[in-house]
Amino acid sequence: MNIVVLLKQVPDTTAKISVVSGRINEDSVSKWSMSPYDEYALESALQLKESTNGSLIAITCGPDRCAKMLTDAAAVGADNLIHVVHEGYLDSMQIQSLLSSAINKVGADVVLCGKQAADTNSGSTGPGIAELIGAGCATHVSEVKYENGNFSAIRLNSSGSEKISMSVPCVFAFDKGLSELRRPNVRGIMMAKKKDITKLDAGELGVTVSESEVKLISHASPPEKAPGQKFEGASSIPTVVTKLRDEANVI
Amino acid sequence: MNYEALDFYEVDSLLTDEERMVRDMVRDWVDEEVIPNIENACREGIFPDEWRVALGEMGVLGAPLKGYGCPGLSYTAYGVICRELERGDSGLRSFASVQGSLAMYPIWDFGSEAQKNYYLPKMATGEWVGCFGLTEPDYGSNPGDMITKAVDKGDHYLLNGAKMWITNGTIAEVAVVWAKLDGVIRGFIVEKNDPGFTAPEMKGKHSLKASVTSELVFQDCKIPKDRILPDVKGLRGPFSCLNNARYGISWGAIGSAQACFHSAKDYAMSRIQFDHPIASYQLVQNKLSWMLREITKAQLLAYHLGEKKDNGNWIPEHVSLAKMNNVDIALEIARVARDIHGANGILDEYPIMRHMANLESVKTYEGTHDIHNLIIGRHITGIQAFTREA
Repeated sequence: MNIVVLLKQVPDTTAKISVVSGRINEDSVSKWSMSPYDEYALESALQLKESTNGSLIAITCGPDRCAKMLTDAAAVGADNLIHVVHEGYLDSMQIQSLLSSAINKVGADVVLCGKQAADTNSGSTGPGIAELIGAGCATHVSEVKYENGNFSAIRLNSSGSEKISMSVPCVFAFDKGLSELRRPNVRGIMMAKKKDITKLDAGELGVTVSESEVKLISHASPPEKAPGQKFEGASSIPTVVTKLRDEANVI
Repeated sequence: MNYEALDFYEVDSLLTDEERMVRDMVRDWVDEEVIPNIENACREGIFPDEWRVALGEMGVLGAPLKGYGCPGLSYTAYGVICRELERGDSGLRSFASVQGSLAMYPIWDFGSEAQKNYYLPKMATGEWVGCFGLTEPDYGSNPGDMITKAVDKGDHYLLNGAKMWITNGTIAEVAVVWAKLDGVIRGFIVEKNDPGFTAPEMKGKHSLKASVTSELVFQDCKIPKDRILPDVKGLRGPFSCLNNARYGISWGAIGSAQACFHSAKDYAMSRIQFDHPIASYQLVQNKLSWMLREITKAQLLAYHLGEKKDNGNWIPEHVSLAKMNNVDIALEIARVARDIHGANGILDEYPIMRHMANLESVKTYEGTHDIHNLIIGRHITGIQAFTREA
């Protein structure tokens, strides 16, 4: 059983993001991490690997710095590592064509990924790849199991949970999963060091990265939060009540 | 508050990828499991058993030892592990130091093949906790005059005496105990249930409160003959262990100092007095600048010593200097950090006072600050100044 997990390296949620001349300044990002929903996908992929005795292939697409994240995945148990090397901006379609070619190259029974990346939040990778590799897709899953030749998954929403079954091959895009990504250990780290990363570029994948359908015009930082307002004395109560009712809409 | 380790000269960029991965693993664990629980552990005076299990699962116990289920990491990696653990708490780092350098190391270096195969795998996983019995109530800096003695009774040894200030003693399955056999210091492996052996816990500490400290009492304690460490005689045995533990401490103290600096900087930036953050005043900046300066020097000292340990190109005096200096500056940094925190510095909402109290112990154990000065003094002059009976 070939289990593929797609991982994306994003600025750590604690990293400060600066925008210079309308573009995020990547050089100023102090820490890059695995996108949090991808961590849930990876943990679930590790559990699938253990329950099916399968092989786990971790794939990422991005610049050289992403290699470290693949080694981190190997430290917790990924068997094979594929790095689709690409510097610079790619739109969702371009990323999907590169990733799906890499997936087709290794052959996947199941593909797991996060429901969206913490930086771009586009949420299109899972469904887009499913379309390109001709697989079914379920999004917002929290748990995946392999039972009697099929995959089953739990999808959570505000009205409860839904259990679904899907035939091979299929793609699952993860919401917050049941268990956090496991911690590596020294043994895993030492094994990961010895693991080769297969580096592929668009040419080797036979993909022509066509001109982007989406033009990125500019990035902008979120507007600064308005400073808090301070009211003193009992005489300000009517003003506060009015503001809470009309501006904050809390009463 | 997200932890950003002070590393002004980017000394960590000299680490290998593997060492950095180990650092991140331990740092994340300390953030997630230790920092949220440490104050409670101190208040209750316990070493949480989950920490023993987690250290075993991460595979960091006995870090630089190779074979027999041990991790086989570099000495630099061992140092980094100590630093990250001690950023959490010195008691936690003490547990790891004692397990790895003081209990596993002597078995690994001086034990028989059977002893290594029997004890080390279970100690590396944390299943068995180890302790180290050298210091006695009346013999601390002067262990050579220890009273504890072993007598050869033909088919067994009989151990009598008492050890004191023993980290992990009460929770240990395995104690490496140093005692005189026919006047010569030898190492013995004592097991928890050996007849005549008890390990009562010492209570009432104001320091290392999240660490178990015990006495070891031997009253006609019968030890099978195969529990003597065959390959070492004299003080070289315990001193070899101490050198490894002291090396780890020289890194560990940096972790405490970094934690204190981190807290002091954050506090100074947000604490407003006379309408401005106190970090904007020259006296406070002077303190922060001094902390950064000392931490940076300590980091370079520890890193270079790690390289020397890994190359085998070191002498015990190198270790003495790093232990002495780094603990000394860490304690002073904790005190200055308390000052910057003002009254808040005494609360357990901040880690300052805990690190300060811990470091008072760290300055004393594993060779006091003064003893390390004498070791270096002897190195400089060739004249030992420990005793008047030359």
